[in-house]
Amino acid sequence: MLSCHPTLDTLTDYSAGALPLAHALAVSVHLDQCTQCREQVRRLNMVGAELFATHSETTSQEHMAKLKDNVMAAIANSQAQAESPEEREGFMHIPQSLRRFIPKGFNGLNWIHLTPSFKLATLCNEMGGAQIALSRVKPGARLPSHRHTGNEITVVLKGAFSDEDGLYREGDFICRDHHDKHQPRVTKDAECICLIVLDSPIEFTGCLTRLLNPIMRHFHPSNALNGG
Amino acid sequence: MNTVSETTTDTSLLDAMTKVANARDTRALTHLFDHYAPRIRAFCLAAQPGANLMADDIAQEVMIRIWNKAHLYNPATASLNTWIFTIARNARIDYMRKNGRYQSDIDPEEFWSEMADENADPFREAQQQRDEERIREGLRQLPNEQQQVLSKVYLEGKSHSEASEELGLPLGTVKSRIRLALSKLSVIIKR
Repeated sequence: MLSCHPTLDTLTDYSAGALPLAHALAVSVHLDQCTQCREQVRRLNMVGAELFATHSETTSQEHMAKLKDNVMAAIANSQAQAESPEEREGFMHIPQSLRRFIPKGFNGLNWIHLTPSFKLATLCNEMGGAQIALSRVKPGARLPSHRHTGNEITVVLKGAFSDEDGLYREGDFICRDHHDKHQPRVTKDAECICLIVLDSPIEFTGCLTRLLNPIMRHFHPSNALNGG
Repeated sequence: MNTVSETTTDTSLLDAMTKVANARDTRALTHLFDHYAPRIRAFCLAAQPGANLMADDIAQEVMIRIWNKAHLYNPATASLNTWIFTIARNARIDYMRKNGRYQSDIDPEEFWSEMADENADPFREAQQQRDEERIREGLRQLPNEQQQVLSKVYLEGKSHSEASEELGLPLGTVKSRIRLALSKLSVIIKR
């Protein structure tokens, strides 16, 4: 049973297509694991569909006929794409929507070691937007104490961690804003891998880990040198 | 934008969709085009008033996607309206992404599509129709101010905060109107 879900507001924006893509990606990773939120989104989609179905806009008949001809010509040239369902094996813990970014599994990613027990791999960046990355922390390890300089979404993909506010397990969706300062700790039984979406770089607050801050800034798309 | 009174549950559309999926019937696709293309155009023009070129491009793109993805349509998982709404929504996001506003490596089509639902069963289809009728009827009875915020979010694709700016309303008011509307439509799941 998952304990942390996106808010109804977030799910509504998701269903309406009004959420920034990076945040939408994090929501979809949560949906992959959470039947309850999937059902909520299904119902929200129905509201959108009803509004969609009751508004229509035509121009001249000739114009619509021309558009129709274009479509018919395009499909005549296209081969039907019989997309086969992808194989699930070898992709344990990797939700459908992330597979494109993790084609060779977690170990095939380009991990940057930030501390002996904490690694980070960037999946993709939005231009001038959020950094989308995975964090990987060894069993029982404590994350360096840090502060968020913008909104941060975390979705647990594997393992579990806890902080001052509670315990988070696979599929949990945690949204933090810039007021939060916390020190998460991974449970002792297994490593913990999370998807993180950072609107702006994390800032470490420990006296030694502060030295990592330039690295964190370097890999964030808000840094122009990194080129997105 | 015209509001059309006659709506959906048009079995001829579902028949056409089945013919497109199973028999690759191009005439059936023209039937779907006649019904949906004006709706897709309206949906795009709601987000970008006056952008007729974009509306035309997306309408064509969506019809092509319907043709290409027809075999994936499962009436037990989503009604035809809902399925086509999600395709149109994704195509609109994708268009905006490619044209600057949301430049990103993320392809919305990869995850915004309806999730395969293992629990889909035939009884679900009937339940779905009842839910839809309830929502349709409920939408008609909503006060204007609630309809307005729902349209901002769903048709114009505005986030809660964008809607609050454009309507000159506090964010809290926008949020509560949307919640109130959704609760009247009984779409909120109790946790």
